[in-house]
Amino acid sequence: MERHHNSVTRTPLNSVAVQRRSKSKSYRLSYRSGIGAASRLAFTPGLTGRRLNTSRKAPKSDKITEKVTKEQLALLVKTEWKLSYVTPLYQFRHTQLKSYSRQLSAFIAAEKLQGMAVDVEGTQNPFRVSFSLLQEMTESADDAVTVLIQIHSKPLFARQDEPQRPVWSGWLTCINGNLEYLRSLPKDFVCLPLFCSSEAGGLTSLVKSWFQQSFDCCFGPLEISHTSLQWLMALWTNCQQESSIRQLKMIWTLPVEPQLQVTYTVDAEDAWQLWSSVRKENTAGEGGENSIDIEEVMSFMQGLKGHFFRHFRLDLSAGRLNEVSTALGSAKSSGRIKFSNSKYMITTLMLLTECALLKMPI
Amino acid sequence: MDESKKRLVQRIIRRIPAKMLKTTLEKWGRLNGEQQRAMDSIQSKWALTESLLDICEENELAVKHLAELEMIYMINNPDQGMWYAFQLTDPGDEAQSVDLMQFREQFKSHLKELVREVSVKIKKHTDEAVWIRIAWGDAYSRPDHLKPTYVVHYLQTPYVFVTRLTSKQKPMLSQAMVLSTRYQYFKDANLSGRNLTAIRDLLMRKYQQVFPTKYLSPLTERKQTNPHIEREQAKPAANRLQMACEAFGGGTLPQLQSAVYKLETKFRDHTNTLMTEREEPFRCAVKFSSKNLLESLKNCASSGIASTPVTPLLSSIPLKGKNYFVITDNGPGPSSQMRQTQN
Repeated sequence: MERHHNSVTRTPLNSVAVQRRSKSKSYRLSYRSGIGAASRLAFTPGLTGRRLNTSRKAPKSDKITEKVTKEQLALLVKTEWKLSYVTPLYQFRHTQLKSYSRQLSAFIAAEKLQGMAVDVEGTQNPFRVSFSLLQEMTESADDAVTVLIQIHSKPLFARQDEPQRPVWSGWLTCINGNLEYLRSLPKDFVCLPLFCSSEAGGLTSLVKSWFQQSFDCCFGPLEISHTSLQWLMALWTNCQQESSIRQLKMIWTLPVEPQLQVTYTVDAEDAWQLWSSVRKENTAGEGGENSIDIEEVMSFMQGLKGHFFRHFRLDLSAGRLNEVSTALGSAKSSGRIKFSNSKYMITTLMLLTECALLKMPI
Repeated sequence: MDESKKRLVQRIIRRIPAKMLKTTLEKWGRLNGEQQRAMDSIQSKWALTESLLDICEENELAVKHLAELEMIYMINNPDQGMWYAFQLTDPGDEAQSVDLMQFREQFKSHLKELVREVSVKIKKHTDEAVWIRIAWGDAYSRPDHLKPTYVVHYLQTPYVFVTRLTSKQKPMLSQAMVLSTRYQYFKDANLSGRNLTAIRDLLMRKYQQVFPTKYLSPLTERKQTNPHIEREQAKPAANRLQMACEAFGGGTLPQLQSAVYKLETKFRDHTNTLMTEREEPFRCAVKFSSKNLLESLKNCASSGIASTPVTPLLSSIPLKGKNYFVITDNGPGPSSQMRQTQN
């Protein structure tokens, strides 16, 4: 099998020395143009443009459980979320949540019940929206606090006394967002680039419309790239010693007629042994935090593909990796993520925040 | 027994799609002209159920007649539910000469000895298949017609196909089969699928097979735009196509849905010494699934995604007629194991 090109790791990431050409203009350079001059000219990131980090800290069983309450966490785990990126929100205030709840509730009622006279301010409104903060779900001091939105509603022909049930939830978050970018934002903008929504009842598009109207932002679909899926595989497998992943499952699809799906499941211990065999001898400096490099991740994947090839003489590279899952969670290339275990959420969210920031057009 | 009759009628009407009902009832042949016409004119399933119940009263039909109706439908539409293949091994001297009458009598009597309360129906279909419908009961209850087991056996061959069978029922079926066919063992053939016709064709090789030939046929695939590529690729592509067909067959291939391989082989990679030195096997499982698995695998081979000649692991599916394999490093052991291909 051919070796993969390692060109990703060779691109210079921090060409800080390059000066911005036009200081007088007040526009802000886009995130993707980074600091490299060459990439400003093209629509797509040039060869020297910013890319996903090639090295990450190994995930530790985060102290998230100590910080965020159990009830709040329960809302986030065990649901499959659809991912989108959001451009920075203009004049979004974390202190105005009650007002936002009312506004969004009225907006949804107006859209859903078009043509009917409805008292949106009173108790007749069938939709109740609540905005809340997940205070401790941040990684760095520059991260904006995570905002959780829930919509409760009664089923269509419910009795009077039946309580409202949550029919939709979504959350905006920024975990360890790129510092340079965050600091380069003008004062009134709040950056919460990752939007996770449950896929229920057409409410997602309404919520997005309201945000777009109220905060002049833009939503877009966020797929999980092949590289990100490989990262997740490695990061999750890395947790095996502390918390068993039970198995590492990958789902590939091969482009033949009719489409062939390959589900490749590896036992937890064996995946862990392969992973640790590709780890480089790390100098555990900086207080014992060793980092994981993209090369190790790619060797891990290569090992798995190689084992498969030796048996079936079938090259998985010809296909597409669609889904990766372990006991800690699952990720699909179509842009869906599920956290089965809250312990390692932060690291996964850091990766996804990075992906969202990279995909944003501005 | 009216309640159980009613439930059986409901189940049958629910299962048989509207467009097949007419022909199935006709084949059943227990309705007179008037009743048949009455059934044909009804649309709703609820009304059909009521009508059929009335007819049963009129014609004094019992549960066993209704079981017959269900069986006729199954025989003519076998490609549903899950079928599992079994194989009879170690034939005795008289195995080849068992004929239908013998088999029928012996199977019924043996099974009735083993399971006191059981209802068995045997029918021979036009294509040499013997269909058996078994409703199981036990010491405390009458045969349950709502959960029957269907068994299909091709006389003169060692192949048997079975639908749902619990672990309690298996030994009894096994014993009855073995005694009535004069073989020694009734073993799991590690082949399962939704289409009876597909797994039967696969096991009994009733599909177009392609044999190695010195004279390769010209490539008949989609038009290439670039004549240089076409010329350069013609021979390798023709080779791949030939080998793909040799491994999997030509023409229409039996429709399998999946194949599962449990791998328990060592991890061998000369670039990774740590893993290669491990004593334990690298345990993983691979499942291939597709609307038509053999077609997909054949296309993988002919398009080059899978290297040709096709690895024995994949070509075993049609060769051995199995879709469940356990692969270890040992040499060829029991029939379900295979030697790992060396790199």
